Amino acid sequence: MESFRFNHNDNVAYALLFSPVNDPGKIKQRIIDAAKADDQDRDAVNFSFIEASLITSRLHLETAIHQAIIVESQGSLRTKTIHSEILFALNPTNNITEAIRRYGVSETSKSLIVVQITDSSASASDVETKMKAVVDGVVVSFRELATVTDWDRVKKYLKLDKEAKEKGDLARTQAFIDSVAISSVAMKSVMQ
Amino acid sequence: MAVSLSQSLIQTSLPISQGAEAASYLRSFSDSILKVYKAQLSPESPPILLKYRFKKHYRHPNLDLNLTRSRIAGEARALLKCLRSGVNVPGIRMVDATDGVLGIDWIDGQSVRKLLPGGTEDDGPDDPENQNDTQAGNYNDLKEYGVSVDGLMKMVGIEIAKMHRVDVIHGDLTTSNMMLRHPKSFSSSVTTLTTELVLIDFGLSYQSTLTEDKAVDLYVLERAFSSTHPDSEPMFTSVLAAYANTMGKDWPAIKNRLDDVRLRGRKRSMVG
Repeated sequence: MESFRFNHNDNVAYALLFSPVNDPGKIKQRIIDAAKADDQDRDAVNFSFIEASLITSRLHLETAIHQAIIVESQGSLRTKTIHSEILFALNPTNNITEAIRRYGVSETSKSLIVVQITDSSASASDVETKMKAVVDGVVVSFRELATVTDWDRVKKYLKLDKEAKEKGDLARTQAFIDSVAISSVAMKSVMQ
Repeated sequence: MAVSLSQSLIQTSLPISQGAEAASYLRSFSDSILKVYKAQLSPESPPILLKYRFKKHYRHPNLDLNLTRSRIAGEARALLKCLRSGVNVPGIRMVDATDGVLGIDWIDGQSVRKLLPGGTEDDGPDDPENQNDTQAGNYNDLKEYGVSVDGLMKMVGIEIAKMHRVDVIHGDLTTSNMMLRHPKSFSSSVTTLTTELVLIDFGLSYQSTLTEDKAVDLYVLERAFSSTHPDSEPMFTSVLAAYANTMGKDWPAIKNRLDDVRLRGRKRSMVG
């Protein structure tokens, strides 16, 4: 279980990386159904389901979580919940449907990061149990994230094809894409 | 009213009154416009620099919010544009336009001003340990970074040219607004490189394709050189040589315009 704590805020974000994940289509359907269901069903999927192959580093995810917490604390969410706000922050355009289609769970997702932002009263093990109840997949360490990232797709969504070509070797290209990805997420709220 | 998230972040962070970053920021903006802090978002994450544009009570609240928001947005957009185009600038780590906070990567290193002869003088009473620095001290510092003065000037020229090629005008080019990353916090696949030059403080930057604006940007730097560093002409000549090399075919037009600007100064005549 990975946790994100901030020095200046009582919220905690818990995250699990599932790779591989079985039957992502079922999870997606369950989220859609939960929108029409009662509170209990909704609570069971009250997480952010993130396409793990589009996350370039832990810091990338941390930045998105942090921006979502800021926006929520100011009462200026652009989407319905703080969890969908993470997906919105990750996508470089202002199109919410596109953000959820790209960065949320889809039928073709092979690995998923499940995040819950909660206050410090929630116990980590409770959250972990709930997450494992929703997702059918293998929990792996966050260090595995590096092996999951689909750099070509990240590059395409960030429109960095031309710029990344000039970087030369693989390590430099990936470091470059990662830094642009982090900065894009951080400045999303003032994007044109 | 409850303390906002960014406010409590500032409370946990360290105000900077010294150091290269603060020296440069405090020189270009007065202390009454923004405050600079060193902060950490989470226990594991690398340190960041916070630029806090606090509320100005002499302005109407709506106007204040608008101005703060657009300034932070402008700076963040310029940084992202530079970053995407491979110009060395600090990455953005957080933006809270409502509270006036911009968080960028902390650059571990020294400002070019401090590394060149003359740059440590006139630093004011709050920087006593640098008062006695001799010029030899500067050269030793440069050795620590593994570059020569000429090599450093080349890096300056290249970085500015890269920025101008994507039509970003810095607006406040001085040797204080450039930093050399310390070799111990710099890693590169090219082993001969020991450091990199990072342009900082895009608070006055804007976008423009005009030759005039690029020439004025260079002119401002030339003036900064001549007022800060003794015998700066050969240094600035190397800056321009590297700049010309990187700009390629756009250089002759900028060179001609720079000559015009030198004759009339930064402001264009409004007559006629």
